[in-house]
Amino acid sequence: MKKTILLVDDEPHVIRVLRLMLEREGYQVVSANDGAEALDKMAAARPDVMVSDIQMAGMDGRELCRTTRARYPDEPFPIFVMTSMTASGEREWVRELAHVDFLEKPLSPRQLVARLAAHFAHAATQPENTHAA
Amino acid sequence: MKNNRIGLILVGSSLAVIALVVTLLLQRQQTEHAEQVRAQGLGMVRSLAALPASVLVPAKGAPGVLDSILAYRDNPDFAYAAVSAADGRSLAEVASAGALVPPAAPLALTGFAERAVPAGQNGRAIREFHGPLASAGEKTQVRIGYFEPRTPFNMKDLPFYALIALAMFLLVPLIYLVIKREMAPLAALGEQLRVAAGQTNTNQALALASADADADVRGLAHKLNRYLDQASTRIRELEQESVASMASGRLLEYGSNKMQAVLQCLPDGLLVLDPAGEVTFATGKIEPLLGVSVADVLSQPVEAWCRDPELRAMLARFKSAGLDTRSQMTIEFNPSGVPGKRLWATAQALLGHSMAYGTLVVLRDATREHLARQAGNDFVAHVAHELKSPLNVIGMYGEMLADVGEDDPAVRVEAINVIQDEVERMNSLVNNLLNVSKLEMGSMRPERHRVKLDDLLRDAWQQARTRAEAKGIRLDLQVSRELAAVSVDKDMFRIALNNLLNNAIKYNQAGGNVVLAADEADLDVVIAVRDSGIGMSPEDTARVTEKFYRVRESGDEQRGGHGLGLYLTNQIVELHHGRLTIESELGHGSVFSIHLKKMPALVDGGQVL
Repeated sequence: MKKTILLVDDEPHVIRVLRLMLEREGYQVVSANDGAEALDKMAAARPDVMVSDIQMAGMDGRELCRTTRARYPDEPFPIFVMTSMTASGEREWVRELAHVDFLEKPLSPRQLVARLAAHFAHAATQPENTHAA
Repeated sequence: MKNNRIGLILVGSSLAVIALVVTLLLQRQQTEHAEQVRAQGLGMVRSLAALPASVLVPAKGAPGVLDSILAYRDNPDFAYAAVSAADGRSLAEVASAGALVPPAAPLALTGFAERAVPAGQNGRAIREFHGPLASAGEKTQVRIGYFEPRTPFNMKDLPFYALIALAMFLLVPLIYLVIKREMAPLAALGEQLRVAAGQTNTNQALALASADADADVRGLAHKLNRYLDQASTRIRELEQESVASMASGRLLEYGSNKMQAVLQCLPDGLLVLDPAGEVTFATGKIEPLLGVSVADVLSQPVEAWCRDPELRAMLARFKSAGLDTRSQMTIEFNPSGVPGKRLWATAQALLGHSMAYGTLVVLRDATREHLARQAGNDFVAHVAHELKSPLNVIGMYGEMLADVGEDDPAVRVEAINVIQDEVERMNSLVNNLLNVSKLEMGSMRPERHRVKLDDLLRDAWQQARTRAEAKGIRLDLQVSRELAAVSVDKDMFRIALNNLLNNAIKYNQAGGNVVLAADEADLDVVIAVRDSGIGMSPEDTARVTEKFYRVRESGDEQRGGHGLGLYLTNQIVELHHGRLTIESELGHGSVFSIHLKKMPALVDGGQVL
């Protein structure tokens, strides 16, 4: 069964490239331009992994992560947050949230593909802990 | 000395008085004695004269009256009694021992009389009373003599005189004591004056004079006069000093007021605390800074009014003795009394003679600095983000090109186009960043010249046209040749125009058009960039010239804005004292208009470029 990846970014080029690359790897890709749209898509598609930008107009990445975790407490699917902010202080907020990891910008699609592959390979060996990142 | 002299005078004067009294008494006694003798003598002479001569002059050997008188005389001064004939022959006589009967003196016409018989050899002076014997005719006289007192002084009166003298003499010490007692305050006063005169040090002569003259009241009066002179001199001096000190007091007050005014005018708030931590001075500026009034702070300990833990902690450190008093300490905090403020508080121990006598606290409003710092940080973060976004896209497309490009020509074309676009976006961002930086640093000053607008617009149009055509957009120019000249900085104005044209092309729809038009109104020239693009919501229209504000884009198409172009354009227009107006309708396009004041002919005098 195809794994569903939810891509959230207000930069259409990023969505375009990641979608192309992920679809080539056999994932099903759902995309959203902002947090609100992402929550809508999430309700319909139930993604296995969410990849989100952090700086977005409207609901930003942090809020999206918190809302997602609050709305689906029983499905802590991994979230990858794309950020160009390297200062450690900017990452403090994820401590309160489980299974949130960072992807460094400039983003390498290859790296994302590798991380996802690793995640799903790990999840396959530990079926009882399906959503461990 | 003075008292001794008074004593001597008293003794002398009392002796004189005693002598006078004694003399008067003696005189009176003598007079009385003489009167007594006279009365006795005359009485006896009259009574003898009335007797018959035979009684007076008895026969020889028979006892006469005269003998009886001698025998029964009661007066010790009785000298003699005699009856003398007219020829001076003594008819009968008796005499006390040691007394000689002097020759008779002729009878006075008045009859009974007296005479003084001076003392003869070894004899005594005698007072004689005589009168005619009635029975023996005119020529015979009866004589009675009394010795004059040997001395005026009667020895038996000595104790009486001694008593009087003693009594009077005893009065002397009494008077002396009374005088001395009455003089005592004067003496003390004199002494005080002398000391006062010595203390003033300005009149040594008085001190010397007083040494000589302090024995009597005249000296005292003299001294008093001198002292009064000196006192009035001193009072004048003191008055002068008072005037001088009043003047210097006024100067001090003036200086103090001036200092207070200066301190009150300082933009910083000042607090002075005593070593116990109570506020002794505060300027009115603390109220807008800390949110507490001066009246609430004065004479109050820090704990009573300070609600900021940071400030309290710092002041507590300065209050505690362990701190090195030379140190200065500065903290930065948000005062709880005034939300949104950011303050710097510097505490400095006030030192005098190696001990601290308080703490000076300077409160400075650092809100602007804080906001500027924050804005700077935000700006850097924003720029980094804006630069990283195209880099990110370029990197991703680059990777995709490497991985997929060989197999998929469509991806290859797309990647190359996107990379070119993103490079252009970064370039434009960097250019605008530099311009914004110059503008904000103030190093971008418009060098305004008289410019022919139509040439400028035509250049801009020419440059933008190739970009517009590449995107399939028609760019029209509608400029009349007869436009009024304006005064602008050509280079800056070109940046503004390019930004407007780029936006009009960028946020347009395929097959759309852009019109660059210029019209002349009464007072100004209006340059309008009209597009048939995507337009903006009213909210976006209002905020689009804010720095880094970006209209949210929808759809897949990436326009590549960076939030600086319109900000920069607006700033440039404002530098030219013009204004930028925006009309926009979502989905129908926008009109950006630059309104520039027309330049009256020949006002600038500058060359038309």
